[in-house]
Amino acid sequence: MKEWMIILLRSILLFFVILFFVRIMGKRQIVKMTPFYFVSYSVIAILTALLSVNIIRNLAFGWIALGVWILFPMVLDYISLKSKWLHDVIHGRETILIKDGKIMEENLKQMGMTGEELLRELRGKNIFQLADVEFAMMETTGEINVLLKSDKKPATPYDFGKKVAPQGAPQTVILDGNVMDEPLSNMGLNRGWLKMQLEGMGIALENVFIGQVDASGDLYVDLFDDSIQPPRPKVKEMLYAVMEKSQADLEAYALETKDEKAKIMYGADAEKLQQVLQKLKPYLLR
Amino acid sequence: MTVSSQVKQTLAALKGAQGILRLYSAQSQDEKAISVYQEALFVTNDVIKNLEERLKTIEFEEPQYKGN
Repeated sequence: MKEWMIILLRSILLFFVILFFVRIMGKRQIVKMTPFYFVSYSVIAILTALLSVNIIRNLAFGWIALGVWILFPMVLDYISLKSKWLHDVIHGRETILIKDGKIMEENLKQMGMTGEELLRELRGKNIFQLADVEFAMMETTGEINVLLKSDKKPATPYDFGKKVAPQGAPQTVILDGNVMDEPLSNMGLNRGWLKMQLEGMGIALENVFIGQVDASGDLYVDLFDDSIQPPRPKVKEMLYAVMEKSQADLEAYALETKDEKAKIMYGADAEKLQQVLQKLKPYLLR
Repeated sequence: MTVSSQVKQTLAALKGAQGILRLYSAQSQDEKAISVYQEALFVTNDVIKNLEERLKTIEFEEPQYKGN
């Protein structure tokens, strides 16, 4: 066979072999890789490239080397899952860089980091004041993660004492104009319901790029044509408003009526509605 | 507006709200949300019943506004 055909076939074969093995080896973000994985992946890449272009004279040797570099990381990975000791040997341990607001200089020196580099990493996380940091740790990937002092952390509803309903995960039911049946049935809905919702909004399925259903069953759509504005579902706010108005009406009736029994009845009902409104608030008005 | 038509409006609004509450209590995925909606349904039901009772009395006392 001609030389170029050999290379073509071998490259295609290697492509699929490596694709297969990389999927088995698992996902690790390129940015957050420990040095161990980085080296393994690099060597695999280089060996594959060399094999692909037929630079390695003896084919068998090439495949053996590739095999070792693919299998050994996989095996060690598996064992290090079971044994923490081995995991620490291969990947190292996390190092505390700032504790209780104070920098641990010896640890910094151990990591081979200067104060300037530490400040640079902090700025990368949008932290310009060392005084704001409570705790900072360098992970085995070299990445630094920071815990801010409690009064410098962004405020959450918890801090305001405001009760907020937990937000469940939304399901994407329409992707690129195609209906996804599995997410729909995860929410206990079906295509019929979807059709009804779309008709209610006056939108055809073909116009929808992405459609999401949130945990309370409201459908939100993004259309291909961005100039059309789909009606934003305000059902929850309207429901709250209706109930609020009814409650106010009841209070008014209680004041207006001359009938004693009716007065008491209106008053009691107004009170009950008020309590229910308080409970509904976190769910209807996020 | 007469009293009876005002009460009728409030009644209609509450019935509409009841429908939506029922929908949400069926659609929601979260346990606590469902129980909150059902409690709201309960209370709304009670209030509706009371209002309907009161409406009968009002219309009895002021038959000229009946059927408005």
